[in-house]
Amino acid sequence: MALRFRFDTRTLTLIGLGAVINIVAGQVNTWLRLPIFLDSIGTILVAVLTGPIAGMATGLAGNMVWGLIASPVEAAFAPVAMVIGLVAGLFARAGWFRYVWQVILAGVAMAIALTLVAIPIQIFIFGGATGAGSDVAVAYFVHVGRTLWSSVGLTILGSNIADKVISALIVWFVIRKMPNRLATTYTMLKYNRA
Amino acid sequence: MALIEVTDLTFAYGAQAAIDSVSFIIEAGERVAILGANGSGKTTLAHWLAGWLPTQESEATRGNVTCRGRAWQDWPLAERASFVQYVGQIPSQQLSGQAFTVRDEIAFGPENLGLPEIEVRKRTAECLADCGLEKLAARDPFTLSGGEQQRLVLAAALAMRPQVIVLDEPVTNLDPAGCDDVLQLLAALPASTTVVLLDSFSRVGVEIAERFLFLHNGRVSLDGAAAEVLLHPDAIASLGLPSAAEAAWLARESGAWNPAAPIPFSIQAAIAAFQQVENAPR
Amino acid sequence: MSTLLFRSGTSWLHRANPLTKLCGLLWATTAAFVLPWPAAFALAAVLAAWGVQSGIGGSFVRRLLLLIGPLAIALLVIHGFLMHYPDSRAFGPLTFSLGGVIHALRILARLAAVVSASFLFVATTHPADLLKSMDASGFPPGLSYLVASPMLLAGMFAMRTRAIHDAQRTRGLALDGSFWTRLRALPALLLPLVIVGLLEANQRALALHGRAFRALPRRTVLDPPADSRGGIWVRRFLVLAAIMQGGLAFWR
Repeated sequence: MALRFRFDTRTLTLIGLGAVINIVAGQVNTWLRLPIFLDSIGTILVAVLTGPIAGMATGLAGNMVWGLIASPVEAAFAPVAMVIGLVAGLFARAGWFRYVWQVILAGVAMAIALTLVAIPIQIFIFGGATGAGSDVAVAYFVHVGRTLWSSVGLTILGSNIADKVISALIVWFVIRKMPNRLATTYTMLKYNRA
Repeated sequence: MALIEVTDLTFAYGAQAAIDSVSFIIEAGERVAILGANGSGKTTLAHWLAGWLPTQESEATRGNVTCRGRAWQDWPLAERASFVQYVGQIPSQQLSGQAFTVRDEIAFGPENLGLPEIEVRKRTAECLADCGLEKLAARDPFTLSGGEQQRLVLAAALAMRPQVIVLDEPVTNLDPAGCDDVLQLLAALPASTTVVLLDSFSRVGVEIAERFLFLHNGRVSLDGAAAEVLLHPDAIASLGLPSAAEAAWLARESGAWNPAAPIPFSIQAAIAAFQQVENAPR
Repeated sequence: MSTLLFRSGTSWLHRANPLTKLCGLLWATTAAFVLPWPAAFALAAVLAAWGVQSGIGGSFVRRLLLLIGPLAIALLVIHGFLMHYPDSRAFGPLTFSLGGVIHALRILARLAAVVSASFLFVATTHPADLLKSMDASGFPPGLSYLVASPMLLAGMFAMRTRAIHDAQRTRGLALDGSFWTRLRALPALLLPLVIVGLLEANQRALALHGRAFRALPRRTVLDPPADSRGGIWVRRFLVLAAIMQGGLAFWR
């Protein structure tokens, strides 16, 4: 992990790529109509290839760009996007992107971490709602007697577990299928390529 | 002192040596074409010549490239960028990703050099005009056609006022119209600019180069003028013949061409030669 | 490039310095958290009116309603009728709480003000101008690169994704059917996109070096948005006020 806070140019282009993949992968999902977001694949990829700090920067960059082109309010969730990169990078650094079971656990960890960061944002800034379909789930949980915190938490976790596990598995697949000549250019990969 | 000196350069992709003990010199003002089949290590050699040291793609197991007596590793980035520019095959990969307009893309390099605004403006205007991009000045670079993008990449390179331009298969991915546009620009490069072209066909080389090197099995096996290199059996086997030369060759075989007349390589030379044949007394 | 929220125009706001506008946005966002909710609604209304006056009225109001509408319904239902507040009273199967409704209004007022301010900013500021301002003010060039390149590359990547989709379909890839069938299609669609993207990122980095990117700590900027000493002081004031407001909101 670089201690200086200046990314080299190649890391910059990777972060830019990760942010684009975050934006564009959602398009793929409209064809497949899977109940997931696919908006963090780029973040996880960059985190695995270059480390947690670059992963965090990817989440942030993607979030900021999305704010400029689609929905400025999304910028409030920047910490969520960043924590995904952080957790993915830490797991990758520990060599936990080698086997499927590890990757699944990493995905679950990402979902839990992002939920913990998202709950206070969603409650203090948005009052617990998002204006999307998941509000129905929150309303239901509140109606059956749960607190707002646990209702929001369950909803966020529930809708993110599948997405983060699948996204992490996609990244695992990519690094396995990567041509060797390309793979050797990422020093972080040495922790995760068998 | 030679402008660029390649000394015993050797690099490999894995176990296979792609370039093996290659040494040659390029003098200032020369127009050189280095020809070799696909996979012969041309792009990596092109990167080395332009100082784009691809330390991750391949390791140079031996040798080095020096420019004006200094290894590229010893050149500060800004100085190197002002001296040599590289134009590759895929234009979209060479756009900065920072510029929202064609004008800004051309200005990007000079801006990075910290030049005064008036100088940046002057160079941008000149390159826009020289490369026929004035009408596209306000366009998003990523919405241009392949040929337009390659002209833009060339304009952006020329805005750095380089003394050397390294071209790596500059027209391979372009349609015929785009190809012609780029060829016109290359033919109009300032005479003082050293041009090194790397390619797997001689089509561009014969239009702009006077000296040819042939890369075969990782080594420079031929080095000389067009006739010496391009008519050698090894080169013909690997690269084929430029269409003008092939036409003349076949005409010679069938007796319709004076065996003593030199084989033309470029289209212009072919036109002149055919006119001579036409005008020769019977 | 993907469609921006930016709408061109000639209003004062369009011509104002992007960094100053960004500081204004920061100020308005923190103010929204400090003002009582009727005042926050008023702030939102003032900003919306400014948007209309600046010529971006139509899309502004539409987007505001699209965002706030569903949120308003959700918040009023959750806080007014479902959640238990000290003053909740039963009405048949539901409960109603005025305190809950007030809380929902407080959240909505804040959001309306923040969304108005954000839309006002993005609709009157072209990203290129914002990035040029950043460069001209001495921000690290790498920072503006991180915002510019995803915006510029998104269109090309979207086209590529489409091409990969079409190519895979002609090869017989099934995109309909059970969840597992569709899930299995995911790698086939994403892997080519990612690998090509990675190769390209390596090349682009070399190209950036070749054009002396970040060779020097500061770069010239051609035609940066106009700025002034007064503008710099306004920005300093706005940021200071924002920090104080933010601190106050946090402390509460």
